Amino acid sequence: MVSYAGVGSLLPRLGWMRMRRPPNPNPRSRWPTRTTTTTTRRRSRSFSSSSPLRAALDSPDVSLLADAARISLSPNEVREFEPKIMQVIDWFGQLQAVDLESIEPSLRANTEVDARTREDAPEAFDNREAIIAAVPSYEDPYIKVPRVLNKE
Amino acid sequence: MPFPIQNPRLLLTPRHLPFPPNPISLPPKPFLRPLSSAPSPSPQTLDAIPSSSPPPPPSSSSSILSIRESLLSRRTKAAELAAEYLDRLRRAEPRVRSFLHVSDAAMREAEDVDRRVERGEEVGPLAGVLVGVKDNICTADMPSTGGSRILEGYRPAFDATAVRRLREAGAIVIGKTNLDEFGMGSTTERSGFQVTTNPWDSSRVPGGSSGGSAAAVSSRQCVASLGSDTGGSVRQPASFCGVVGLKPTYGRVSRFGLMAYASSLDVIGCFGSSVVDAAIILSAIAGHDRLDATSSKHEVPDYASLLVSLDFLDSKPLKGLKIGVIQETLGDGVDGGVISSVRSAASHLEQLGALVTEVSLPSFSLGLPAYYILASSEASSNLSRYDGVRYGKQAAAEELSFLYGDSRANGLGHEVKMRILMGTYALSAGYYDAYYKRAQQVRTLVKKNFNEALNEHDILITPGAPSAAYKIGEKTEDPLAMYAGDIMTVNVNLAGLPALVVPCGFVEGGAAGLPVGLQLIGSPFSEEKLLRVGHIFEQTLQDFRFVPPFLTES
Repeated sequence: MVSYAGVGSLLPRLGWMRMRRPPNPNPRSRWPTRTTTTTTRRRSRSFSSSSPLRAALDSPDVSLLADAARISLSPNEVREFEPKIMQVIDWFGQLQAVDLESIEPSLRANTEVDARTREDAPEAFDNREAIIAAVPSYEDPYIKVPRVLNKE
Repeated sequence: MPFPIQNPRLLLTPRHLPFPPNPISLPPKPFLRPLSSAPSPSPQTLDAIPSSSPPPPPSSSSSILSIRESLLSRRTKAAELAAEYLDRLRRAEPRVRSFLHVSDAAMREAEDVDRRVERGEEVGPLAGVLVGVKDNICTADMPSTGGSRILEGYRPAFDATAVRRLREAGAIVIGKTNLDEFGMGSTTERSGFQVTTNPWDSSRVPGGSSGGSAAAVSSRQCVASLGSDTGGSVRQPASFCGVVGLKPTYGRVSRFGLMAYASSLDVIGCFGSSVVDAAIILSAIAGHDRLDATSSKHEVPDYASLLVSLDFLDSKPLKGLKIGVIQETLGDGVDGGVISSVRSAASHLEQLGALVTEVSLPSFSLGLPAYYILASSEASSNLSRYDGVRYGKQAAAEELSFLYGDSRANGLGHEVKMRILMGTYALSAGYYDAYYKRAQQVRTLVKKNFNEALNEHDILITPGAPSAAYKIGEKTEDPLAMYAGDIMTVNVNLAGLPALVVPCGFVEGGAAGLPVGLQLIGSPFSEEKLLRVGHIFEQTLQDFRFVPPFLTES
């Protein structure tokens, strides 16, 4: 049976070792923080898009990640997830040691995709009733959601 | 292992199963037509261009063809066939649990086929053929849960393009098969509903994520099935269950209606009990779709018509074919029994005339972490739509952010949450370059290595998986141990290549051994070549029967 050791033993072939996660990045990094919110208000227990998030991501802060991913996790679940996520992210870290200088990143597998896009013209879907029937909370013509709270 | 290749007629003997007086009866024995009286064309090698079009494969090598023949000659009715499959499905289900939903329209659809045959009307190439569909592929008239509680009861408003095309060809969707939630997993243990068992040994997993589809075909609960393959989810279960599994080139089959897991890696694939069947399904579902911007305009050949009967092949039908065995797949971390099965398969291919050499793909082992980074990252984005608002299960909440948070917490399973969290991390500010971008660079390396190898060889071969099926529960505690099992398959998805798994042998385990699959990899859009080689390999493989023992025991 294949065990984790099996994967580890595939690694020495390339003569490199697993490395720790990269050091805390420059807080002035150009990449924007992921904000998946659909509201423009700040949530009561969430974070703003500045350094506290990034500093906390040094060692993955599972509760902040859960916030960002909009998944409510109990403290118990956070504790459960933490070591497993750590383990996998450590394992991801092995890519740090590989020399990838001057290698272009590939967005997708092959280049057979036709670059011409179809016309950007809306078409009415022929079974809107079925779409509406699937909505958990609907009051014609609105999809209902609870209120969005302001940060106090 | 000696092969009686000298006498091709021997190879026409149907690989038939004893017809036992059993509780679970087997699919009808294919009708064997006597050899045609037409003058036989000169023997063909793989690349020879026939002067007249070659006859199709005999129906003894294909359940779909034998069904068609039976229906058109009126020897069988579609309704009888449907009743038989439904009966076999129900008897096997308590043991195998491949299905999340069984169609209540199957008999009606079969009766429709019978009426059309009666009236002498045209029926499609898949008329009366019972097909299972993985539950992450949308079917308008049946629930489509993606294996997740968050979509429990959800009925899509449309059929996936692949399903629509199957139906247009006359197929009957017999039900929706079990999977690891949203395609994330390699055993079906991460299904939100049930664990499918391996038809060869019910204490073992069928593989995943398309475990239900593989087990259903293996147990003959349906003739063929659709699955999806993002990192091996068709090929690894095919290997574990002893069936044929085909992963087409990225873009060959429309992804419209496939619940997205990792959009740059996902493909819809299929399972069959023979290579010809997989080829027929591929022809039905492949082709450009305006609703999938990543689908290719590449022409779709009639794949099955290119699969010739062994009668018309010479003794070295693979002469001139250059096959490369990927060195890194037959070493550390791979089960000894699997290695020896694959080496036997390689000798078999040599005896058929192929030139088999070893080739190295230096970036091979890097593909695994790169794949998981890319897949988790894309998944974290793709799964953000499951928020309880427009479809699926909605948690009660007073505030929108809790509606999202709680609906997702309640509805999404453990593995899915893990991958979303890992993907969120890998894509976050400052870490994008370190993880996602580097993984994409590894992807370029992997593509490059494959290109080079496929310039020197027609096809590459590896095991379908580094071991045979695991015991249920064996890998669930250690995520990395689970991921390690995907080593044979992920690189193919990174490069978008087509691959075919055909059963090639057994290792010890279970009542009658556990199947081992051989993976054949080709260059983009070379499914024809893979299917031809796979078909010849399968038809000349004398020593094995890939029918699970429980189907024949009393």
